[in-house]
Amino acid sequence: MLQMSWLIPLFPLLSFILLVVFRKSSNENTAWIGVLLTGASFVLSFGAWLAVWQGDGIKVEGTWFQLGERAITMGYEVNPLNALMLVIVSLVSLLVHLYSKGYMHGDERFSVFFAYLGLFSFAMLGLVLSPNLLQLYMFWELVGLGSFLLIGFYYFKPEAKAAAKKAFVMTRIGDVGLFIGMVLLFWQVGSFEYDEIFSAIKNGELSQSMLTLTAICIFVGAIGKSGQLPLHTWLPDAMEGPTPVSALIHAATMVAAGVYLVAAMYPLFQASETALTVVAVVGGVTAIFAASIGLMQKDIKRVLAYSTVSQLGYMMLALGASGYVAGIFHLTTHAFFKALLFLAAGSVIHAVHTQNIEEMGGLWKKLNITGPLFLIGALAISGIPLLSGFFSKDEILMSTYADGKYGLFWIAVIAAFMTAFYMFRLFFLVFTGKPRGSQKGVHESPSVMTLPMIVLGVLAVVAGYLNTPWFGTFLTDYLSQGPVELLHADHHGPVWIPFVATAVALLGIGLAYMIYQKGSVSRDWLTRTFPGLSHVIYNKWFVDEGYDRTVVKGTTGLSWLGVWFDKYVIEGLVAGVVSGVQALSRLGSEMQNGQVQSYGTFAIFGLVLLLLIAALSGGYFS
Amino acid sequence: MTGEMIAFFLLALTAITGGVLLINLTNVVHMVVALIFTFIAIAGIYITLSAEFVAVVQVLIYSGAITIIMLFGIMLTRHQEKEKTAPRLKVWLAGGSIALFFIIMYGKIKDLNFGQQNAELHIDNTKKIGIELYSHYVIPFELTSVLLLVALIGSIILAKRDDDEKEAKK
Amino acid sequence: MSSVPLTAYLMLALILFCIGLFGALTKRNAVIVLISIELMLNAVNINLVAFAKYSLNPGLTGQVFSLFTITVAAAEAAVGLAILIALYRNRQTVNVDEMDTMKR
Repeated sequence: MLQMSWLIPLFPLLSFILLVVFRKSSNENTAWIGVLLTGASFVLSFGAWLAVWQGDGIKVEGTWFQLGERAITMGYEVNPLNALMLVIVSLVSLLVHLYSKGYMHGDERFSVFFAYLGLFSFAMLGLVLSPNLLQLYMFWELVGLGSFLLIGFYYFKPEAKAAAKKAFVMTRIGDVGLFIGMVLLFWQVGSFEYDEIFSAIKNGELSQSMLTLTAICIFVGAIGKSGQLPLHTWLPDAMEGPTPVSALIHAATMVAAGVYLVAAMYPLFQASETALTVVAVVGGVTAIFAASIGLMQKDIKRVLAYSTVSQLGYMMLALGASGYVAGIFHLTTHAFFKALLFLAAGSVIHAVHTQNIEEMGGLWKKLNITGPLFLIGALAISGIPLLSGFFSKDEILMSTYADGKYGLFWIAVIAAFMTAFYMFRLFFLVFTGKPRGSQKGVHESPSVMTLPMIVLGVLAVVAGYLNTPWFGTFLTDYLSQGPVELLHADHHGPVWIPFVATAVALLGIGLAYMIYQKGSVSRDWLTRTFPGLSHVIYNKWFVDEGYDRTVVKGTTGLSWLGVWFDKYVIEGLVAGVVSGVQALSRLGSEMQNGQVQSYGTFAIFGLVLLLLIAALSGGYFS
Repeated sequence: MTGEMIAFFLLALTAITGGVLLINLTNVVHMVVALIFTFIAIAGIYITLSAEFVAVVQVLIYSGAITIIMLFGIMLTRHQEKEKTAPRLKVWLAGGSIALFFIIMYGKIKDLNFGQQNAELHIDNTKKIGIELYSHYVIPFELTSVLLLVALIGSIILAKRDDDEKEAKK
Repeated sequence: MSSVPLTAYLMLALILFCIGLFGALTKRNAVIVLISIELMLNAVNINLVAFAKYSLNPGLTGQVFSLFTITVAAAEAAVGLAILIALYRNRQTVNVDEMDTMKR
């Protein structure tokens, strides 16, 4: 099975090529091409995962080209970490393909959408399979391209266009960091191979400051892709894309690529305490920051988007707090329940044709499959016991506490409270109460859409049992086969942590219930109590405005300066040279006027010049 | 102030005045007449330099022959009443160059002095020149006559109206 | 007996030479240009005769040489004027500005 794993990314690529060929076809059965080929990918991935579970692994490489004495290689590798990622990516991709068949029904560019999905899946799977940084970087950019195309799928909407551009530019800022880190590593180690880099780190070939520098540069790449704090603004805007895309790319897979990158390069981070701290702090601050914005948003997808940013922050926090397993575990469970939430949100939007939660309400009865599934997702993300989110979040809190980062621990707890609150605010506003706004012809989505949601719903419940203190830590054992040495394999923090986590989750849900369901606490209680703060939060901490005023204005100003410089200084210089040459040649041609007297005058002039030089230098006469 | 000096200054002044008039007058004939003064003054300068024979030749050839030839040349050709001035740029370039030339040369000659020589050039000047010409310089002298002959014939041929041209005019 | 120094003669010659040169370069009438050239030659003759008297070994050489110069100048004036007449016959002008066949 493992020998065939190179086929995994090729199936979606084939799907992309076929669908591009058939893109003019109005027949929506083309979707089955994508579904079947992605299904094949999933089967192979699952097989590979099973093989790896039994302690197998494979790495195939060939020399791509020789650079001096250094060989640049290409190939593929299956290890515990990326086998898990393969399964997540191909499974979510398959489910989203299936879901999109219903969701995108009737769209003019139906086949093109599936083609883009195929391209993205190919890039993402290729990224995961890469055995070296260079190959990873190529697929990294391809993934960015896929994301760009899919966000801008409704290119006739100006917001979508702007969002696509923004996503491209913002992630590119991070990519530059990754690129610099990669080049620094190549310079220091002489190879892009993970294995060689890790052994070089182990042998202490890199100085401590260089380790920190490269780790932080690579982390900047992860910040860009995963929407961490300074570069997070593209992710909420990316919700302009079709909802399945949000579920696939901006919840489950691509944004997790940043987390995956940090996990894949984990020995590098482990070698530098500073880098780990940076990762943890950025993750923790992002978690609470995005959660706070999520409290006030009115667009169903934006709430989920900020929730995604916040949960990604959790994962980074876990990785930064030496909770390697916790981070990966949360990545896995999050992929399932967040994809579920997005697909459910897509189903809601599909039914009521609006994204504003103020215009929804009372949909529980009408959407009798979507509703419970959304509830499962919300419970899972809030960390209610027995659901997957509980275990993974618990794991993160444990490792943060065990790592001694108490400040970040409490931040994570508060963020968990906020998460529970905004998720259930969303749930109550959408599914309970009286219908607000016009809701005509609301009906449950077709089975092609509900089926993937049910699968994800089941996974959102059971994925947590991969790694529990009660039944066994399968995931920990599994991941410890990988190249990463787990420092704190067992995060056995204090016993009270799960109870605190559960308590804050229940508290959040209870508060949301009181405000939005029973109404016993006024809705604008918070707004009235902290008017300044809520204004700031409602406007997303003014980060976008801040960027507009500083970076964008600065760049625009710089460009104006550049234009001015080019127009007046450079072109002036060029024009000056041109007119100078012209004047000189005009003078030359005027000198050739055929009159002996003029020639005589010039001759005398030249003679006098020579005499002057001779007289001044005292040469000839003295 | 000796008589020689007074004579030199008067003659030099006349010569330079003639030259300046040549530059500044507008009528061509007047210019040539102004130049006659210069030539005669230069002849006087030759006398102060104890070169009587050269002075006489100067009067004969320049003041007489060449000036007359030039007057004939002027009369044989058509002229504007007033001389047009040359383009300003060219005048400035030429004037500047010449002024610079003057300054450089002045700087070089102002301290030139070989001391007073007790030469006896003025005694039997013409006789001595005659003896020199017919003994030491006889070959250049003869060559000069050939040159004059060639110039004579050449001038005639150049100035003669061509037969072909005559044919064409008819 | 103090006499006129050599420098005075050289200065006079220099001034006349410059005037002649200026005339030769800026006057537009060909006859005047020729005359200016004669003036330049005269300035040179003054130098020759002056050096004949005031040089380190004075003699008649300078005077004889100036005689030759005068002869050549006369010949040159004659030929120059002949050329001028021929040119005038062809182009109907003695204006130096209009003689620009060298451009072609």
